Amino acid sequence: MSASTSYLETRHHELRKTRMVMVDGNLTSNLRSVQAGVSARAYVDGYWGFASAPADGAGVHDQVRATAAGNARAMGLFGARPSLVLPGAHYRGEQRRMGRTAMTAGDCTDRMAELHAHCMSRYPGLKSTRIMATDELHAKSLRTDAGGDSLALIQRVAVSVVLVAEDDQGTPIEVRESLSGMGSFADIDWSVQTLAAKLDRLHGHLQAKRHAVPARGGLHTVVLAPDLAGMLAHEAMGHPCEADAVLSGAITADLKGKRVASELISMVDLAHHYNGQETLCPVYVDDEGTPAEDVLMIDRGVLRQFMHSRETAARLGLPPSGNARAYGPDDEPLVRMRNTAILPGTSTLDELVAGVEDGYLLLDTSNGQADATTEFMFGVNLAYEIRGGKLGAAVRDTTVSGSALKVLQSVDGVGSDMKWSNSGYCGKKQPMVVSVGGPSLRARAQLGGQ
Amino acid sequence: MGFSTEQAAERAVQALRTRGFDSVLVTVSETERCELNLAQNEPSLLRSNAARKLSATGIVDGRRASAEASDLSDEGVAGLVDALWTAASTAPADAAHAVSQGQHLQVSQGQRDADPTALADALRELLAWRAEHTPTMMIEEAAASHIHQRLHTRTHAPGGAGSNLALDLGWCELSVFGLAREGGRTSSFNGAGGSAEALTHATSRFGIEPMMRELTRQVHTQPLGERFVGDVVLAPGAVTDLLGWLMGQLGDGPLIEGSSVYRDSVGLLIASPLLTLRSRYDAPGCAPVSGDAFVTPPVTLLDAGRLTQLTPSFYGSRKTGLAHKPVASEGWELLAGSTPLAQMIAAVPRGALVDRLSMGRPAPNGDFSGVIKNSFALEDGKIGAALSETMINGNVAQMLKDVLAVSVERIDGGSAALPWVRIGGLHFS
Repeated sequence: MSASTSYLETRHHELRKTRMVMVDGNLTSNLRSVQAGVSARAYVDGYWGFASAPADGAGVHDQVRATAAGNARAMGLFGARPSLVLPGAHYRGEQRRMGRTAMTAGDCTDRMAELHAHCMSRYPGLKSTRIMATDELHAKSLRTDAGGDSLALIQRVAVSVVLVAEDDQGTPIEVRESLSGMGSFADIDWSVQTLAAKLDRLHGHLQAKRHAVPARGGLHTVVLAPDLAGMLAHEAMGHPCEADAVLSGAITADLKGKRVASELISMVDLAHHYNGQETLCPVYVDDEGTPAEDVLMIDRGVLRQFMHSRETAARLGLPPSGNARAYGPDDEPLVRMRNTAILPGTSTLDELVAGVEDGYLLLDTSNGQADATTEFMFGVNLAYEIRGGKLGAAVRDTTVSGSALKVLQSVDGVGSDMKWSNSGYCGKKQPMVVSVGGPSLRARAQLGGQ
Repeated sequence: MGFSTEQAAERAVQALRTRGFDSVLVTVSETERCELNLAQNEPSLLRSNAARKLSATGIVDGRRASAEASDLSDEGVAGLVDALWTAASTAPADAAHAVSQGQHLQVSQGQRDADPTALADALRELLAWRAEHTPTMMIEEAAASHIHQRLHTRTHAPGGAGSNLALDLGWCELSVFGLAREGGRTSSFNGAGGSAEALTHATSRFGIEPMMRELTRQVHTQPLGERFVGDVVLAPGAVTDLLGWLMGQLGDGPLIEGSSVYRDSVGLLIASPLLTLRSRYDAPGCAPVSGDAFVTPPVTLLDAGRLTQLTPSFYGSRKTGLAHKPVASEGWELLAGSTPLAQMIAAVPRGALVDRLSMGRPAPNGDFSGVIKNSFALEDGKIGAALSETMINGNVAQMLKDVLAVSVERIDGGSAALPWVRIGGLHFS
């Protein structure tokens, strides 16, 4: 480290991925990839420099460290800038690889073909099936010049089955069952025997959707199933609680210590454990070498903490939380979530539904987006009407939206159920593997429709 | 950039053939990125990325697999070949699998070397413009980049002439993302950007200046508050969403599944005669090559609203029996119309000027609902308040037919050049 370099990290990052897609028994994607790279990031006189290169080159570590430091110094062309003292400890330790022996490519292909055959034989009238199986493993060896030395592993697997049929008007409709977990294809049970009951329920939803009615647009009482509550936690309130968003002017900047949600709502970004069990995306050390800590964002309705990197922590005079994460070997760490959840309450889903005179039960979401204002939007691809406390007709694909602050303040019931998922990616300049969790919630929100 | 992508591709082809594959497709790429970043209105980081990738597809007895690796050493290639063989030999046979043949192209365009001083000048210009014209805007992040990419693609198929494609592309990109803030109030975030040969006066291109100006007018918002049927004037960023859905419907997934609403629509009017969509494969960073290694001739995909072709891949074409007319994924333009934007807005009795659509994935038939972001109310031809919590509901396929006007003005973002489009009949709530 040169005299003026106050921070330098070096990361060897190997990323292995599998992506298999079977459409009607045809294996349309059958891809495996391995990307290995070395990166370095230096902080010199208030500026950052970053460099990355393939890991197989001779002397690549020294080369990227020198380039990163040189890049940081070159930023001096923008003029002198105060240099921050980057806070936080430097983790030393290795995460051990767990899990069963990986399934072979042939075993995965056979499993997908079995699922397709099962669906086509059991559900007459099915137009199509789409089965997607993905896994990825990140192995990151990190050294910081202040003494950090760690090996971190993130491994996740996801399988989804989509059933496609036609509705009463001949329009294609579809429903999806997703399964995700930590590890490889061998570490989740996606056998036909285990999934058969879930697929039967899924087919029941598909049949109901054949006669679906359009949602009535406007403000409604909605019961959000756990999948949507997890999405709400991540998208609508999680992103505005990332400290770089706070520094950029997100609405949360002025709300710390204030009531932002119903007293029934507590929301966390967990580092690696929940209720004594390892989370689906366990982060013991982040990609700056900071030991990872839980972040309690909302405590019984009151906004308490933000998620930090070393730099955002320095700017706000707080300790870093271990949220600086980089997706790929060519990426620098950004403030990112890890395992974000709304904590469970005491109601059952049936109780939440029974308390709705006129509203909707929202069961599955296709995608979500949020804003610095906390205004959010989720696609809803499985929903039912609720009339007089009972479920009614299925609803055509729609959208739920609103200000997360208003929606969370309107929550009057929180389920005791809790569901975690790590199947999707978070997008913020780079993709990121995260997990989201939540219970059922009852609240008021806008539905798209006529 | 020192090593030969051509030799590396040829070595990989030989290794795959030696292993026993009948048909192979190999691409070796080398990419260098030099990028300057802003964060929170200040210069923050200079990045140098160097990356290499070997992408290979192998077919044996009609069974196919693909693999990618960054390790191009002999050991790395050998490992990839073994993994590919294992994956392919256990895949189901499919007679539709095949690789391109007889395709030959060499493209060299753009600057190979980055000019960090020019990138810094582009960011200085952006910061100065923000300070002078939109001081309440916070640039959360911005990036000025130069990318140099070399790719070499080789194929081999039994009894046929293989393909040989070489690309050497250099281009620059500028992107800006942020929000505006006054006191305790915040606008929605928004962004703009594009690609070009160089970033001279880039702040005044790609729609960056109007995006930043409009953000400062979107701090104070109000909901529309009632349901009605009205018009939208979609800015180019929102037009991208419509075209993205259309292009998706013309490609492999919906065609193979049988869910595409346009499967039998070639030659038919599927959109307003005001819409003409054509390729611009010579745009910065673009090349006339499809993802499965076919040279892509210039194409007018929508000719005055008439669909001229579908766009299945080679595999999709063989699987469905539909004609194979390859297209590249990047490099498209919607031709300008004859209505000045101001005149277009003045003609709207009631509706909204929409810069960004935040919507769920449209249903296979095009039905959608979504939140209109970074938008303004339109009433009696005048721009009103910035909007919050306002949704629209409609059908994308119908929206393409219900286009009432296309603007003279366009935003040229390099790989896409798009006008504003007025569409009637949307349900607001």
